[in-house]
Amino acid sequence: MSTSYGKPISVRGVAKTYPTHSGESIEALRPATLEIASGEFVVLVGPSGCGKSTLLNILAGFSKPSSGDAFVSGERISGPDIDRGMVFQSYALFPWRDVIGNVEFGLEQKGTAKRKRREIALHYLHMVGLRDFANKEVDELSGGMKQRVAIARAFATEPSIIFMDEPFGALDALTRRFLQHELLRMWQEHRKTIVFVTHSVPEAIYLADRVVVMTARPGAIKVILKVDLLHPRDVTSDAFRDIEREIYAELDEKLAKSMSSELSAAAVGSA
Amino acid sequence: MKSLGPTLQFVLAFCVILIVWQTVIVVFAPHPSLLPPPLAVARAFWGLLVSGELLVHTGVSLMRVFSAWIIAGCIAIPLGIAMGWSGRFERFANPFVEMFRPISPMAWIPMAILWFGINEPGKIFVVCIATFFPTLISTVAGVKRIDPVLVHAGQVLGCRSTASLLRKVVFPAALPAMVVGLRISFGTGWACIIAAELVAARSGLGYLIANGMEILRADTVLVGMVVIGILGVCVDAVFRFLGRRLAWGVT
Repeated sequence: MSTSYGKPISVRGVAKTYPTHSGESIEALRPATLEIASGEFVVLVGPSGCGKSTLLNILAGFSKPSSGDAFVSGERISGPDIDRGMVFQSYALFPWRDVIGNVEFGLEQKGTAKRKRREIALHYLHMVGLRDFANKEVDELSGGMKQRVAIARAFATEPSIIFMDEPFGALDALTRRFLQHELLRMWQEHRKTIVFVTHSVPEAIYLADRVVVMTARPGAIKVILKVDLLHPRDVTSDAFRDIEREIYAELDEKLAKSMSSELSAAAVGSA
Repeated sequence: MKSLGPTLQFVLAFCVILIVWQTVIVVFAPHPSLLPPPLAVARAFWGLLVSGELLVHTGVSLMRVFSAWIIAGCIAIPLGIAMGWSGRFERFANPFVEMFRPISPMAWIPMAILWFGINEPGKIFVVCIATFFPTLISTVAGVKRIDPVLVHAGQVLGCRSTASLLRKVVFPAALPAMVVGLRISFGTGWACIIAAELVAARSGLGYLIANGMEILRADTVLVGMVVIGILGVCVDAVFRFLGRRLAWGVT
């Protein structure tokens, strides 16, 4: 199976404001600047309202920045593109298609021949361990299986970049841990550029080459941290804990408190 | 047993109606030209069936509803998709829809007779109006209810043009709602064709009923009514079956 390598993303002063009913404007994202290397795994982490999904939607081409520009390999992002795949928190599988039909969807748009399409789709279903479920209906699957189908669907068109919007947020801790591991394996094999959004700090550290820490009201990039740990990362190691402490320190004190109480329960499973 | 359940219920209801009917005959002994007993109606039914008359009238009525329903659907579904998809187009089209919608299709019968006489186009026109609105409203609602995340998924999976997005994502996602609209509209169309045929027709179940009344054959009138009821239930059952196979709209 041929592999297309990732492309770099350049975010230059990208900001987003929304008008309100009273005529004021809400600053969803303060001008953000970020360079993402090709094949890099970048995780945006922060509380709700920090603009991480806003930024992801701009990069995916679903919404336009109020100011600034984002580029992929030097080309301005002007709309959604099949070269930039996406995995959604709510899976977004097409319920009128069976499992393999979902994985084949993007390949149909690309004009891949029927036979080749099946072959590729089966390859990626095999990769996520669902080859035997190819002809099942989508609503027969569990949440974790649905997200694996969605991941196979995103990889099948061989995009250079994959965006993931809290993809494991709705899953139980064990499934989450398993899928994080699988995702890393696929990323190491294919070297796509991945931009991953989460509100879980341990998940961010477990996955990322670099963690982009964002804070809310107004949404803004607070700090960018490099994670120099070898995969698979040990969430109980001192080095891991140090980075975790550093990130929590960067987040507002009040916020860090509410987040750590929420996360300490999930931390075991979420990494 | 599952599929037998609803059928049994209908058979049971049918039996109850027959018993009540027969009881009324025994207790009040009405003149047969006012209310004939079930057995007499059954005999009339058999007579009309054997002569072929009943099949012809039924076929004519069904064909009228069917063709009008198809024509209306071919207009209502694309229009409904456009209205559900584009807020701007909906704001433009909605006042027109809302002004025509409260006018009962029956109110169009006089105009239909003026314009088309008592020929086929007049009846098809009236039924078109009756079947148009339920299909349109349901399609608009179905398209609006689509999870925007499915549209986004379609976009990142290569649906570059609005046309391909509508065809590959919006249409299948809204299909269950369209089938519901088509089911409801067939019902309203079926009710409407009888009214149109009562007023202006030389064939069809409505004509059979109107004619039965004129020649004081209450049994013929009742045969017509029974066939209308049974066919209504049957067509609805077919749509419900189709709707269950497209269950993704429900979840």
